[in-house]
Amino acid sequence: MAELTRERWGKRSYFIFAALGSAIGLGNLWRFPHLTYSNGGGAFLVAWMVGLLAIGIPWLIVEYGMGKYFQKSAPGAFEGIGKKWEWLGWWPVWVAFLIDTYYCVVMAWALRYIVSAGTVAWGMGEAGAAGAADYYFGTVLRLSGGPGEIGSIVPELLIGLAVVWIIIFLVVQKGAASIGPVSQWVMITAWAFLIVLVVRGLTLVGATEGLNYYLQTDWSKLASGDVWFAALSQIAFTLSVGMAGMYAYGSFIKKRGDVNNNAFITGFGNCATSFFAGFAVFSVVGFLMQSLSIPVEEVSSSSVGLAFITWPVAISMLPGANALFGVIFFVCLFLLGLSSAYFLAYGGVISPLMDKFGWGRTKTTVGVCIVAFAIGILFTTQGGLYWGPDILDRAVAFYGLLLTGAISCLVVGWVLPVSRLREFVNETSDFKIGPWFDVLVKFIIPAALLFVLVYGGFMNDIPNSYAGYPRWASNAIWGVLVVTLILSFILGSMKTKGRAD
Amino acid sequence: MSIEAMVAAVVMWVVFIGGLSWCMSKWRGGGSEWEE
Repeated sequence: MAELTRERWGKRSYFIFAALGSAIGLGNLWRFPHLTYSNGGGAFLVAWMVGLLAIGIPWLIVEYGMGKYFQKSAPGAFEGIGKKWEWLGWWPVWVAFLIDTYYCVVMAWALRYIVSAGTVAWGMGEAGAAGAADYYFGTVLRLSGGPGEIGSIVPELLIGLAVVWIIIFLVVQKGAASIGPVSQWVMITAWAFLIVLVVRGLTLVGATEGLNYYLQTDWSKLASGDVWFAALSQIAFTLSVGMAGMYAYGSFIKKRGDVNNNAFITGFGNCATSFFAGFAVFSVVGFLMQSLSIPVEEVSSSSVGLAFITWPVAISMLPGANALFGVIFFVCLFLLGLSSAYFLAYGGVISPLMDKFGWGRTKTTVGVCIVAFAIGILFTTQGGLYWGPDILDRAVAFYGLLLTGAISCLVVGWVLPVSRLREFVNETSDFKIGPWFDVLVKFIIPAALLFVLVYGGFMNDIPNSYAGYPRWASNAIWGVLVVTLILSFILGSMKTKGRAD
Repeated sequence: MSIEAMVAAVVMWVVFIGGLSWCMSKWRGGGSEWEE
């Protein structure tokens, strides 16, 4: 009965926009362009496309297909393979939940900057450019000296976090019925703003010089493990797989709906957006190199440094309409993050809980939003940057995601087995996938994820403390992994009541 | 803009636009079932 009444996407386009919205996030704008520049440009792009076709898209098909096959979110899908595997569906739920707790704090920063950009509060011209870093660390974050100094809550960020969670609640309160239409408008608006930023960037002095750095090609780098690590990790992190939510989104596809083509559209659409965003970022990098007379190494950055320091510097240095472009940039950043944040909340956490315990949507949504907000308060403190977007991110968005992804593909590949899933998705898809898919899921994806895990993770974080933090802070990474694993086993052992609707 | 950068940009856009066009061509009814 539950299968007949399960919530559905109203239109296929709603699913595609929701899936694209979940995949396209902050990393497309602040991680991909710098990775391309620092890993050999065209050489990196080749490795990245290999990763998309061999890992990213097949992994998407696995998660959409599993959700659609079992008509359940991640835990229910693995319970469908066997009760002893249900824990494997809960582990990525914890990954999604914990990521969302600090991801929403980063969005609170973006909200703060939308307001600040209205007056270019960090200053105009070279004085503003020089003060952008101080404004971010000193005024916005009021950053403490290290993870051992939590300090006090920053009130503006706390208010921003509350606003973000209220927006998420409003978006997801009707499930797929509200997420679909909202995603359509969020994505169209975000792309429109991105186009404005690219056009503005390309018309700045020095833009072409920046693009030369973005796309310069060093083919010798293809022989380097670093480039493959960067490309494969970017593919693993950019498509929002390994975070439970894609199983739920796949389970809302109509019975006769496509899986394979939707996965290809999501993969290509996400990566095209990343590549396009690189033009906005590196045209501005070139502009700053010329206007401030500094080398590319001092301008190009990734992550929060790019969004909250480099871009504000560029906004200060623009020849006109500084506040307008500042607001457009941070609204774009906020929208890109929003569609990923409500994906993590609903697909990653709320839907699995509804499937498991039979709780109503409103009750579950209110509960998840309140608990995640409460945990997020920790990251609105002066030491929040260290604990949320850095240490916890390393624990769940790196180790948790890769471990659950690799084990999930092995279980789907060998235990389900994957040929059964392939036959199922081929029945209703626009085109069929061949036995090559089985090989990728059984061997290639797990091997690639384990390579990233060992090469970029264990080989660094076991002999050395992560990011130079004190060993006790770095060890929190292993603590989070162990605790979430134990909690996943406990949840997996509990009786499933089934979704009320 | 250098030739090398231009080639990389053109090749990537051919891949993305070509890839997405191929997906749309496979869409049942050539996209006419967009609403379903």
